[in-house]
Amino acid sequence: MALTAIDIYKLLPKTNCRECGQSTCLAFAMQIAAGKASIDLCPPASEEAREKLSAAAAPPLPKVTIGTGEREVVLGDETVLFRHEKTFYHPTAIAVSIRDDASDEEFTSRLAAIRRLSFERVGQRISVDLVALRCASGDAGRYARAAAAALEATGLPLVLLAPAEPLASAVEVVAASRPLLAPPPEDLVPAAKLAAERKLPLRVRARGIEGLSVALADARAAGAVSLVADPSPETPREAVAFATNIRRLAILSRNRDLAYPSAFDLGGGFPDPFLAAALLVAKYGSLLVLDSADPADLLPLLTLRQNLFTDPQRPIQVEPGVYPIGAPSESSPVLITTNFSLTYFTVRGDAEAAKVPAHLLIADVDGMSVLTAWAAGKFTGESISKMLAECGIGEKVTHRTLILPGMVARLSGRIEELSGWRVLVGPQESSALPSYLRRLPPGAFLPVHG
Amino acid sequence: MSVALPIPGFPGRILAVTLPAGPGGTPVTVGGQNALPLLPEGEHPNAPAVGMEVRTGPLELPPALAGTIGPFAGDPAAMARKCAGDWGARFLFLSLAGCHPDAGGQSVSFGAAVVREVLSATPAPVIVGGCGDEEVDARLFPAVAEAAGRPVFLSYAEEKNYRLVAGAALAYDHGVVSWSPIDINMAKQMNLLLADLGFPPDRVLIDPLTGGLGYGMEYTFSIVERIRLAGLSGDAALARPILCHLGDAWKAREATDASEGSWGDVDLRGRRWEETTGLACLAAGADLLVCRHPSNVARLSGAAWR
Repeated sequence: MALTAIDIYKLLPKTNCRECGQSTCLAFAMQIAAGKASIDLCPPASEEAREKLSAAAAPPLPKVTIGTGEREVVLGDETVLFRHEKTFYHPTAIAVSIRDDASDEEFTSRLAAIRRLSFERVGQRISVDLVALRCASGDAGRYARAAAAALEATGLPLVLLAPAEPLASAVEVVAASRPLLAPPPEDLVPAAKLAAERKLPLRVRARGIEGLSVALADARAAGAVSLVADPSPETPREAVAFATNIRRLAILSRNRDLAYPSAFDLGGGFPDPFLAAALLVAKYGSLLVLDSADPADLLPLLTLRQNLFTDPQRPIQVEPGVYPIGAPSESSPVLITTNFSLTYFTVRGDAEAAKVPAHLLIADVDGMSVLTAWAAGKFTGESISKMLAECGIGEKVTHRTLILPGMVARLSGRIEELSGWRVLVGPQESSALPSYLRRLPPGAFLPVHG
Repeated sequence: MSVALPIPGFPGRILAVTLPAGPGGTPVTVGGQNALPLLPEGEHPNAPAVGMEVRTGPLELPPALAGTIGPFAGDPAAMARKCAGDWGARFLFLSLAGCHPDAGGQSVSFGAAVVREVLSATPAPVIVGGCGDEEVDARLFPAVAEAAGRPVFLSYAEEKNYRLVAGAALAYDHGVVSWSPIDINMAKQMNLLLADLGFPPDRVLIDPLTGGLGYGMEYTFSIVERIRLAGLSGDAALARPILCHLGDAWKAREATDASEGSWGDVDLRGRRWEETTGLACLAAGADLLVCRHPSNVARLSGAAWR
C-alpha cells in the first residue's frame, strides 16, 4: 500500500537540512507522498529509507515494452482498478495473427489486411498494434523468413508464437525490433534464457494463477526480466476472472511475484474470441492476440479501447471549426456549440435528426460543455464574435444569423453588438433541436445586403 | 503453490427487482448480488437479462436491422411476439416514440391502445417508454398506467416529471425507471425523491443514460461502475439494478454507414457496434440491456453470467 506523509517522514533524517529544496523534512515527505518528489533528492537519507521508499514508489504493475521507436507498445504500469479513480494509462495492445505456413500470396495479402486495420476517429488514429506470427510449419528457417517479412511489410512489432527452435532462428533476424517471445509452456526455460540473453520481453503461459506463479518463478530463475503473464483460460468467463485477479494481485496485494501485464491468445479455436476481447479491453487485459483481421470486428474493439482509455479528467476534444450537417448551402442555418466531444456528438446527432442541412460551429473552449465553458469565461460574447469573424463562416453563408444554445441566451446582446450577426436563441436542450430547426421561419436566413 | 487472491467483500447488496409477466409468461428478476459483475465470487442469484425494443412511429432502419427486424418492426404486436418468441428477448421495452409531435404525433389514446395490444400479444414483462416530449408524456404516462392490464414499468421518471410518473405507477401497481443524465448524484437524488413519495424501492430501476460506443460510452461505463460500487458499499439509494438501453449505438455512423468499405461489412459492423456497447455495459455492472438486433439477445446473454 502507498505510504502516507507521516510514514515517509519517520524514515527521513528529520534534520530540516533543506538540501532537497524543501524547508522541512515534513514538507519533503508530503511532496514524496504526493508523487511530486523522489527520495533521490535527499542525500543524507539512510539505505533503509531509500529501499523502502523506492519500493513504495515503483508502479504496482511493472511496465513492459515491445517494439521500438514510434511503434513501441507499452503494457502494464497501471495504478488503479477503476478508471474513475484516476485513469488507465496503457491501452490494451491488440495483435492480429498470421501463420507462417500460408502461401506467399496469402501471407502478403494478410499482412496488407493487417496494415489496413487503422482508423481515424475524433482526430486520433486507432490501429492494431502488433502482428502475432504463429509457427505452424515447424520449420525454423521458414519461420525466421516469415518474421522478417512480417516486420518489413507492416513495421509493427511482432509477437513470436513459436517453439524454442524456430523462436531462436527468428530472434537472430528480428531481435533489434524487440519482439515479444511467446513460447509454448513446455519450451519456457530455453525461451526464458534466450529472452535473458537478448534482453527481450517474454510471454509466460501456464494454466491459471497457480500455474503462473510457478512458471513466472522459473522464467525469473532463467534470467528473464520483462515478463507478460498468460493464464491460458479455456473460456471468456475464465479469462475475465484471471485478468481481474492478476490485476488485483498487483494493485491491492502488491504481489511482486504475479504482478505482470496479462496476455491472452484468443485465436486457435478459443471460444467466442470477440466477446472475450471486448470484455478484456474493459477488464484488465494488457495484450490480446486475435485471429480475426475483419475490420467489422476490429473497428468496434479499437473504438471501445479508445473510449475506456481516455483520461476521465481530460475529455476528448473535437477539433474546433466549421462542420457541415448534411449538405449545407449559403442560406443554411448556422449553429454554434462547444468542443467537448460529448456536447459535439449530441448536438451533431440531434441536428442530423432534423434533416435540415446546417453549418455547425465548434468553438475552442478546452473541451468544456456549454454551461461549464460559459461559467469559466471561455464561451463568451467576445470569443464567439471572434470565432464568427475568423473561422471562415462568413464566406460559406450569405446571411448573418447565428443560432445560439438556449442555455447562454444572455450572450445574445453582446454577440450582436460585437459581431454584427443577428442571434436567434435556440432550445435549452439539444434534444429539442429537430423540432426547432424544422420550425424556423422560411425567411430566417436571407442574404444580407450592403 | 497456493496464491491468496484479494477478493473484495462488500457490505451492501443490490436490491432484487422483478419485472412481472402476464399469464403463462416468465417474470424477470435481476439484482440480489453482493459482488462485482462477471466474476465467480460473492453471490449472484440472478443473471443480467437481455430484452429487445419494440417501437412505434416512423422507422428508418440501418442495413443491419432492416434485414432482420424490418418485416415486423412496423407492427408492434407482431414485433413483440417475434422478440419474445423467436428471438429470446426476456422482456420488451415498448417505446411510444410515435406519440412525439415530430414523429407523427400519434394520439395518447392510440399510444395506450398499442400498450394494450402488445400486452395481449405476449406475456413477457414490458417496460413502456414515453415519447420524450414533456407535454405529451405528461398525458401519456397516466393513460398508459391506466390502460395496461397488468403491471409494467414506466420509463422514465426524471427530476421534472417524477411526481406524475411515480403517481401514475403507484395508482396501478407499476414500477418506474429512474433516469439521470450520467450523474451519480442525480441518480441517488431521484431514488430519494421516489422514496419520499412512498414508492416501493423494489419497483425501481436505474437508467444512467447509455452513450453509444464511440460517442460517450466511456461516461456511461464509469457512471455504472460508480453507481454499482456505491450500492455494494452500502449506499441503499444506489443499490438498485441498472438498465442500459443500447439504442444510441445505432446512432453511430460506424454502425450504419454502408459506404465505408474499409470498415468491413455493414451488417456485421452494426451488430458488433451494439454488441460491444452492451458488453461494456455488462462489464461495468448493468443488470438489464435493451437491444435492437435479434442476434444480440443471444450474443449478450452469452456474457450474462451469474
